[in-house]
Amino acid sequence: MSDFLNFNFSKSYPRFELRTSGSFPDGIVAIFGPSGSGKTTFLNCIAGITIPDTGEIRLNKKLLFSSDSQTNISPNKRRIGYMFQENLLFPHLTVEQNILYGYRLTKPEERTIEPELIVDLLEIRHLLNRNTEGLSMGEQQRIVLARALSTSPDLLLLDEPLGSLHASMKASIILHLEYIYKELQIPIIYVSHSLSEVLKISDYTMVMHEGNQLFFSRTKALFNHPELSRIMSPGAIQNILEATIIEHRATHGITMVQIGTKVLAVPYIQEPTGEVTSISISAADILLALEKPQNISARNILTTTIEKIDPLITNFLIHTGPDPSLKVEITSDALIEMNLSVGMEIYLIIKSNSITLLD
Amino acid sequence: MLSSPDIQAILVSLQAASLGTILGLPLAIGIAWVLVRSSFKGKAVLDILVSFPLVLPPVVTGYVMLIVLGRQGPIGSLLYQTLGINVVFTWVAAGLACCIVSLPLMVRAMEVAISGIDPKMELAARSLGAGPIKAFTSITLPLAYRGIISAALIAFARGLGEFGATMIVAGNIPGKTQTLPLAIFTNLQTGDDGNAIRLIVFSLALASISLITHHMLLKRRGFRNQ
Repeated sequence: MSDFLNFNFSKSYPRFELRTSGSFPDGIVAIFGPSGSGKTTFLNCIAGITIPDTGEIRLNKKLLFSSDSQTNISPNKRRIGYMFQENLLFPHLTVEQNILYGYRLTKPEERTIEPELIVDLLEIRHLLNRNTEGLSMGEQQRIVLARALSTSPDLLLLDEPLGSLHASMKASIILHLEYIYKELQIPIIYVSHSLSEVLKISDYTMVMHEGNQLFFSRTKALFNHPELSRIMSPGAIQNILEATIIEHRATHGITMVQIGTKVLAVPYIQEPTGEVTSISISAADILLALEKPQNISARNILTTTIEKIDPLITNFLIHTGPDPSLKVEITSDALIEMNLSVGMEIYLIIKSNSITLLD
Repeated sequence: MLSSPDIQAILVSLQAASLGTILGLPLAIGIAWVLVRSSFKGKAVLDILVSFPLVLPPVVTGYVMLIVLGRQGPIGSLLYQTLGINVVFTWVAAGLACCIVSLPLMVRAMEVAISGIDPKMELAARSLGAGPIKAFTSITLPLAYRGIISAALIAFARGLGEFGATMIVAGNIPGKTQTLPLAIFTNLQTGDDGNAIRLIVFSLALASISLITHHMLLKRRGFRNQ
């Protein structure tokens, strides 16, 4: 496993400063943070559209920018595909001319990806002769992606590409992105302010906050990071768990999975028993009770103890454990009324339908 | 119907207005791009300088041109010494006069066109491997196509009507630098009202043609950039 990107740079604006350093390992890396945290500025610096004040950027060991040696490779020579937040299709060209725009500007010896392949992969062949008017959002996104890929880039930057898409479209683009990374061997940096997107797409996540990088971690370990709660809005904290499939109850539409010593009923998973899969449960979707609830529709009732109570911006986060180790978000009202404290025995109630599969 | 000197005057006018448009258009596109896209300290100065010919009496513009382009002037002397060319009192000077007086109109038209194009379009082109010039010529220019047509036709129409600056810097030499407006003026001065009216009708027709063309071209469904 090698790093494709090494960076250490800063950029100051009158009311904002971006300061960041690190390395991105091969894979799909998400940059997550609230709006105004510097995600797009970071991408612009990598792409060469914004020039950092000081520092250094290397892509596959090749120097792109260095304030020390006065190096600044121009954006057109960086070989980085950039999908901007807006679609930016060239309105005076047809779909095909849009896709071939970058291909024609790429030196023949650097063309490793043929537009023919991408057009079929992204299922846009039937659109080639159209002009750019009247395309659906999903079609526009796929064309912009095809256009960026036709330059055979060394890196793909995506700035909130799924922001305006419907859920089914998102899922299809996500599959395409995984294919691009695995088959075309192009690392991807993916900017998003949506945690569910980050969880679905990325292998690693860099979390940004007010121009600083808060931390970098494997996406699956993201929620174990103590810094994360600093930037999370209520309801956004997720429990990500590794679960082993132990039994299918297809007629009931559920699958039983094991987490630690506990068994959970989750929506039906189309994978053989014995497989390990990742599931996520929103911390705000878990109910907490002091007595065992009777006659309740929720399928999962687990006993555990309170390990720790952390204040969030408005609510409180209860850490339970050791079996199972979960995070539960409750209001301060609930905390006071139930008189919760560390070490107390509690019951967790989880609806099957509030559990989502990540793989 | 038209006498030979009249046709001469019309031809000189068409030549001068064409030359002024051809010289002025690239200049106007460049200045407009700088005014819209870049930010530097002297930008306001450039903006004001460009507008000068719009507010100065054309006679003053002509006089300044005469000083600059004359054989003793900074540019005129250079041209004469190196190339042996004398611009003043030729139809080329009339063309330059058209260029200067119509430049502000062209710059404003181009400014509107360029500011209507998302600057990120060029950035997208850059990220696809286009250098700054390629991005400009392959993306911004075609997208500004309506602005360019508009600027060219307005400049051409303005050039056809150019009088004051032309008279000073090119003179009023029949068959050589006498343009349509100058011919009308001369006819009126000498009391040849009949001939003047014929030329006036013709000048009206020319102006109408260029303005109607302008209208038709811009009304036609073109690129949807604005």
